[in-house]
Amino acid sequence: MIRLRDLRKRFGRVEVLQGIDLDVAAGEVLVLIGPSGSGKSTLLRCINHLEKPSGGEVWVAGEQVNRGDLSHRSLQRHLNRVRTHMGMVFQQFNLFPHKTVLENIVEAPLQVLGRPREEVEKSAEELLAKVGLSDKRDAYPGNLSGGQQQRVAIARALAMRPEVMLFDEVTSALDPELVGEVLKVMEDLAAEGMTMIVVTHEMGFAERVADRVVFMADGVIVEQGAPREIFSAPQEERTQRFLRDIL
Amino acid sequence: MLDWSVIVHYSPFLLKGALLTLQISAVALVLGLAAGLVAALCILSRNPLLQWPARFYVWIVRATPLLVQLFLIYFGLPQFGMDFSPFWSGVLALALNTGAYNAETIRAGILAVPKGQIEAARSLGMGPSLTMRRIVLPQAVRMIIPPLGNNFVILIKDTSLVSTITLVELTLTAQRLIGSTYKPFEMYLMAALLYAVLTTTADFLLRQFEQRTLGVTP
Repeated sequence: MIRLRDLRKRFGRVEVLQGIDLDVAAGEVLVLIGPSGSGKSTLLRCINHLEKPSGGEVWVAGEQVNRGDLSHRSLQRHLNRVRTHMGMVFQQFNLFPHKTVLENIVEAPLQVLGRPREEVEKSAEELLAKVGLSDKRDAYPGNLSGGQQQRVAIARALAMRPEVMLFDEVTSALDPELVGEVLKVMEDLAAEGMTMIVVTHEMGFAERVADRVVFMADGVIVEQGAPREIFSAPQEERTQRFLRDIL
Repeated sequence: MLDWSVIVHYSPFLLKGALLTLQISAVALVLGLAAGLVAALCILSRNPLLQWPARFYVWIVRATPLLVQLFLIYFGLPQFGMDFSPFWSGVLALALNTGAYNAETIRAGILAVPKGQIEAARSLGMGPSLTMRRIVLPQAVRMIIPPLGNNFVILIKDTSLVSTITLVELTLTAQRLIGSTYKPFEMYLMAALLYAVLTTTADFLLRQFEQRTLGVTP
């Protein structure tokens, strides 16, 4: 489903990603862990081209995302299209404050996919029920708690019916007691077979839900494997040091 | 002290002048908003063909006096066969002038919208123009209205300069009435008062608009 080949990203003179090779299969839940500055968020953002890779290839659902051969306008059209295969949820939620919860969710399916309004609103209400926020349909994001906003953000991303969901530290900005409700939605999503790449510090979640855990540091993948392997028996010293520091 | 009879007798003329002031302001406001928006978007675009003319426009207008801009258009352009009536010369000069200041305000408002909003829109497959139209501009408007309102008040006051090109708006009306009344203080005082009414009303209406459409400003 996702293929990264020798992915590199440079910011000025700093090489944040130093040649990443990674494959993610359909239905797989991959959790990315690592110290800050390791490049894990950058890696995620390269997948949907929110960051333009400095080198290497990003393939999603059989198409190359980072096409350097296209003109600016064609590239934009290409990105708009491939991005509909991927949903992203951000640490800061990034809900549209001037629109209600329902309007947030239907915006992209209406404007980008051109689906009819009744159909889109019906799907949106189903998604809201799924994340447990049916009663908030006409509320504005400013009136919701962080956990509620994040659940709406997940529903908004799901409304485009993506094949892959990208989660960028989605619980890091939440008060601790609100983290659980968001993780629950993500667990349910995983159980339904969604392909997910999750950057997170929630190790409990990683152990319970991940099919594979990837540990990154200093722009490279240091170690990867099943959660049990990584958490109980990490092979690399760098991994051991990280786990010691956080667990 | 003040000759009230003169004020009362000649106030209809002054009000007529004020009406023209209002008309000039209204037209220049609309055109100036359009000019400002276009210029702001051009400066924000990646295309140098759009960026540099717009930057030049904003710079040159803000670097030179409005009066000179007005004379350039009214007295200067006819040299090249471009004859505008006093009304349209005045409106054009005022619109271009307020447009340049609006451009900076609008640009700042657009840039103030959090980057995360654009990223969220992009990640949903929304392209640049869709994002700008439906996500960025509606949020930028909230931040832009107060300074734009300020620019409008300044515009109303700036219309007094078109009195120099024969437009019988409020200032020129007051000036001419001195010929009949020999009371410059009363005439200019009334004119000033009428300007104050116009600008204060504009300010008030703007604040109402802010409250009603945008909710209570934080």
